[in-house]
Amino acid sequence: MKLTTQQIDQLYLFTRQHYVEYYDLQTELVDHLANAIESEWQQNPKLTFDEVLNEEFKKFGVFGFVDVVQKRQAALGKKYNRLIFQHFKTFFKVPKILFLIVMTFTVFLIFKTSIYSDYFLRAITVIYFGFICYKFYESKKIKKAQKNTNKKKWLLEEIINQNVASSPAFIGIFHILMQIILYAEKYFLNDYWIFSISFLIVLFGILNYILFKIIPSKAQTYLEQTYPEYKLENL
Amino acid sequence: MKNSQLYKGSLNTIIMKLLEENGKMYGYEITQKVKLITQGELNITEGALYPALHKLEAEGLLDVEIEKVDNRMRKYYKLTETGHKETVNRLSELEDFIRNMQSLVNPKPSLEF
Repeated sequence: MKLTTQQIDQLYLFTRQHYVEYYDLQTELVDHLANAIESEWQQNPKLTFDEVLNEEFKKFGVFGFVDVVQKRQAALGKKYNRLIFQHFKTFFKVPKILFLIVMTFTVFLIFKTSIYSDYFLRAITVIYFGFICYKFYESKKIKKAQKNTNKKKWLLEEIINQNVASSPAFIGIFHILMQIILYAEKYFLNDYWIFSISFLIVLFGILNYILFKIIPSKAQTYLEQTYPEYKLENL
Repeated sequence: MKNSQLYKGSLNTIIMKLLEENGKMYGYEITQKVKLITQGELNITEGALYPALHKLEAEGLLDVEIEKVDNRMRKYYKLTETGHKETVNRLSELEDFIRNMQSLVNPKPSLEF
C-alpha cells in the first residue's frame, strides 16, 4: 500500500511540529518515514497510519529529530566556513595578491605619515560598528518577513544571509580593535607594528567583503549545488 | 545500533563502502541494506545515519541528487571523486584495525617465551 499525497502532507506537518524548520531536511525525513511506513504496512496491513508513524518516530530516540537538525546545522556551518576559506585563498594568488599588497602599503603609508592616524583607526571602528548594527537589524527584518510568508526555509540560505552579523566572532574583532586604539601611541612608534596592523586591517576588510558581498552574490549557485531540490522548488 | 560504541567509528566507512558498491542510495535504503547483509544483527539507527550522511556531504565526499518518486521527493547520495579515493583509504584502515584486533583478541601462540 502506497501513501497518498494527503498523507505525505501530513508527514511534512509532522516534521514541522517536531521542530524541523528547514525544507531540505523535512523532505528527507518525510521520504524516510514514508518508506518505513509503507514497508511496515506490507507486514502489518491492519495498523493505522498514526500508529505506524509513532512507532517509526520512536526509532529516532528520545530527542526525536533534534539531533539530526543540530548535526545538519553543524555540517552546513562547516561547509560555509570552507566557502569563506576558498575565497580568502584567492587573495593570496595572482592577480588578487597585487591588490592585497597595494592596499596594505596604502594603509601603512596613511598610518605612517598622517598625524591623524589615531583618528583614522577610530573612524574605521565606528563605521564598522555601525555597519554591523545595520546588518544585524537587516537580518532581523528578513527573518521577521520570512516568518509571515510560507516561503520554504533553507538552512544554508539562512546562514549566508542572516547569521553573519549575529556571529559572536564580531565581538572578538571589536575587542582587538579597541585594544589597538587604546595602545595606539605605543604601537605607532614602531614600523613593524604599523605594518602588521595595516596588513590585519586589509585582511579584515577582505574577509568582510567575502562575507557580505561575494558569497551572498553567489548564493543562488551555492544553494543549487547544496540542494538539488532548490531548483525544482523555485522554477 | 547493536553495541554502538564499537560500531560507531566505522559507520562512515560502512556508508562509503555501500555507496561504492551500489552507486547511489537513499537513507532508508542504506539502513535496510545493512540489516539485510548482517541478517538483522546490525541496525543503523536513523539518528546516527543522517548526521553521518550530512557530514560526509559537507566534507565533499558525497554528492546529492533529487528524484521524484511516487508523490514525494527522494534524496540520493553518491560518492564524489574524492569520496571514491577516500573510501579506498578508509577501507584499508578498517581492515588493518580488524586484523590488529584479531591478533589482540586471539593471539597466536608464540614460539618464544
